[in-house]
Amino acid sequence: MRIRTSMAAAAVAGIAAVTLAACSSSTASDSSAAASSDDETSTLVIDKSFDLVTADPARMFETTGGIVLHAVYDSLLTFADGDSTTPLPSVAESWTSNDDATVYTFTIREGITFSDGTDLTADDVVFSLNRVKNIQGNGSFLMEGLSVSKVDDMTVEITSETSNTAVPAIVTSPTLGIVSEDAVEANGGTDAEDAADTDAAEEYLNSESAGSGPYMIESFDTTTETVLVANPDYWGDAPEYDRVVLRNATADAQLMDIQSGTADVALDLGSDQTASLEGNDSIVVSTSASPTFFFLILNADSGVSDVTSTQEFRDAVKYGLDLDAILELAGEGAEHAYGVVPNTFLGALGSDSAVEQDLDKATAAVEALGGDITVSLEYPSDISSNGLDFGPFAERIAAQLSEIGITVELVPSPVATALENYRAGTEEMGLWLWNPDYPDSADYLAFGPGRTVGLRAGWAEGTAADLESIMTEVAAETDADTREELYVEYQELMNEYGVIVPLFQPSATVVSTSTVGAVDYDPVFSLDIAAIGK
Amino acid sequence: MTRFITRRIGAALLLLVGSVLVTFGLTAILPGDAATARLSEQAASDPEIVAAMRAELGLDQPLYKQFLIYLGNLVQGDLGDSVQSGNPVLEDLGQFGPASAELALTAMIIALIVGGGLGVLSALRANGVIDNVLRALSLGGVSVPLFWLALIATSVFATQLRWFPSSGRLDAGAYAPDTVTGFYTIDSLLAGDIAMFGEAIRHLVLPAIVLAAPMIGLLLRFTRTTVLEVLSQEYVRAAEAKGLRRSRVIGGHVLRGALVPLITVIGTAFASLLAGTVLVEQIFVWPGIGSYAYRAASNLDLTAIVGVTLFVSVIYITVNLVTDILYGIIDPRIRYAS
Repeated sequence: MRIRTSMAAAAVAGIAAVTLAACSSSTASDSSAAASSDDETSTLVIDKSFDLVTADPARMFETTGGIVLHAVYDSLLTFADGDSTTPLPSVAESWTSNDDATVYTFTIREGITFSDGTDLTADDVVFSLNRVKNIQGNGSFLMEGLSVSKVDDMTVEITSETSNTAVPAIVTSPTLGIVSEDAVEANGGTDAEDAADTDAAEEYLNSESAGSGPYMIESFDTTTETVLVANPDYWGDAPEYDRVVLRNATADAQLMDIQSGTADVALDLGSDQTASLEGNDSIVVSTSASPTFFFLILNADSGVSDVTSTQEFRDAVKYGLDLDAILELAGEGAEHAYGVVPNTFLGALGSDSAVEQDLDKATAAVEALGGDITVSLEYPSDISSNGLDFGPFAERIAAQLSEIGITVELVPSPVATALENYRAGTEEMGLWLWNPDYPDSADYLAFGPGRTVGLRAGWAEGTAADLESIMTEVAAETDADTREELYVEYQELMNEYGVIVPLFQPSATVVSTSTVGAVDYDPVFSLDIAAIGK
Repeated sequence: MTRFITRRIGAALLLLVGSVLVTFGLTAILPGDAATARLSEQAASDPEIVAAMRAELGLDQPLYKQFLIYLGNLVQGDLGDSVQSGNPVLEDLGQFGPASAELALTAMIIALIVGGGLGVLSALRANGVIDNVLRALSLGGVSVPLFWLALIATSVFATQLRWFPSSGRLDAGAYAPDTVTGFYTIDSLLAGDIAMFGEAIRHLVLPAIVLAAPMIGLLLRFTRTTVLEVLSQEYVRAAEAKGLRRSRVIGGHVLRGALVPLITVIGTAFASLLAGTVLVEQIFVWPGIGSYAYRAASNLDLTAIVGVTLFVSVIYITVNLVTDILYGIIDPRIRYAS
């Protein structure tokens, strides 16, 4: 029986090879953990579901890109330790503003060098900020109404067309990271007004670092993994890890990786997944509030919907929804969003502003509309945030509204499709989320009439004069206490109008191995890589 | 024979043009705007930025022009640039293709050895205990969803036992071997790095076995049936009657006779394997064409979607072409019939 003998031999050889491979295995956990404790190279492996597009600060405006570039490029100011209320010195060691918050003067720290050894000066700051403005990319709006100029070699001035108290928060953005003018220009970059057409430095910046941050880019890949190495000449405290590997992995893969030790940090696990890690001594789960918030839009344009554009319908939704039951779905650590401004920012509303469910009022509002109402609710079906899918929330909202006589037809679609209707302002009802563009309450004026989100909700400029006057007033107000009052007033009025219905803020969870220790979610940068292990 | 091959190649080229046309057409009518899909919330509200992005992506041109431009570039070997990676799609395919090829070929080899071998065994033990067990297992292999199998495999062998890693081609942060073939197993051997070779093998084991599972089931059942058919043929009985040893009958007559239909089914199996890589690569964080395609589809990266489809079509059509030709060579009746 030669055949059977050779087959058996092949099978044995196969099993032996696999077993040998298995026995000779040393998990990546061993390698990274061991590496982190030896004298050679300490490597940190972070799993993240990538939304990585570019490593060019002037073109970057994605979460993963922000994580990478915050580590590679210093900004004029920064935030640290999860505190998103107080900007701290970074490239600028100090700054002042005039009384009406139209002119900000930044003094640049002496002795900062880029990773190629050249000095960082005012010219680099002006070049970097102007390049962002003129490239007309995703983050160019940060420079809208702002102009930057050099006062002397170590001083720059940012001038705003109107009073703008958000400037210190805005300049912390990794999009406004400071690049080396010489290096970028030598590789096709420009800050000229026609930079949108003429700048050609993206390819260079996707492979090399032109920054002064704690890390440098070793390799950059938007699909698989991006590797950073510590900048030996960094002007601040050296980071704990010499090398950081940021890998693209789905949430399911992240759970496996963190359990098997092939990753040190996982960023996208949902509450169900983290619950399965309970009792695992080698895993640390850190949970904190996320500034992301979920909300409903009820289109105010009667051309889109003669139902959702009525105050009666908005009242029906406002009093018909059980926000506690919706919050339950968001899992442990999630918090109510009582207004559009998240609870970590100035002027956030407290529980005393909560709208209590009142089914009688809600039913009366539906009856006033003639009853038998049917509306459609659109939402993205293929994305999740903080481990949360939109589907269950949409279903719960539909179930709650059906109790007061509103039939909600659910219209899930891939985000690329759903975004089109949302951005065109043609959704009757929409379920969406918002991540802050910069950590300041001013970013949430985008929900008002005539602004980015307001327009998507069919809320044109000039349709809510009282609200709009507060928006104008708060943007120009420099006194912190008055600003706080105005933001409170703004949100209370927003809630009264009910075009935007704030739902909740999810919790942000970072899971890490005990070797690395607790890693906190950063409300501004999502993850501050250089702070890990310190 | 030359005429047969020429006609087959001609048909393959037509198929290729057809697949470009269909893919391009389908992506063009997809709902969603590829330009705004790439923009942030604030930028998408700025008509100037949206218009600039549309122009940059060529979406401001009429569809037929976009297609003609694409075809013109294609003839020159230019598949366009991927919106997501920023690289030429051809370069991306060159980067991710070898990873998928290494995985798919390993899965194919596993499936051929295990599926084919067990299929012969099953046929030789027809209706016995071994046969029944193997048939049941093969049914499981074919019908169990890949994602479920992958989750079980990673849970048991990666998370619990820690025998094999659950993601990547090498341990995280490890430097890849110098690229010669793009196959880490081969390149690490060429570099004389045995430790890296072992690491590459360990990373291949789980995804390759999961990917191979449905093919093992398919090949097992098919080989069994084919071998049983051949066993009942007159010439096999004649060979046995002549007093040839059974092993020689099986090796010299049965397997040879079973080879022809097996070649056809391998082509079909390869197609299902290609489809499976998208899922398996996602689950095992395998940086191959499957992951690339998934990401391209999620982000409406039209050039990448068309590029990947074309790439897969080329492979699929080539495999079928080779199968047809081999089939024609082995069995002359087919080439005369056609």
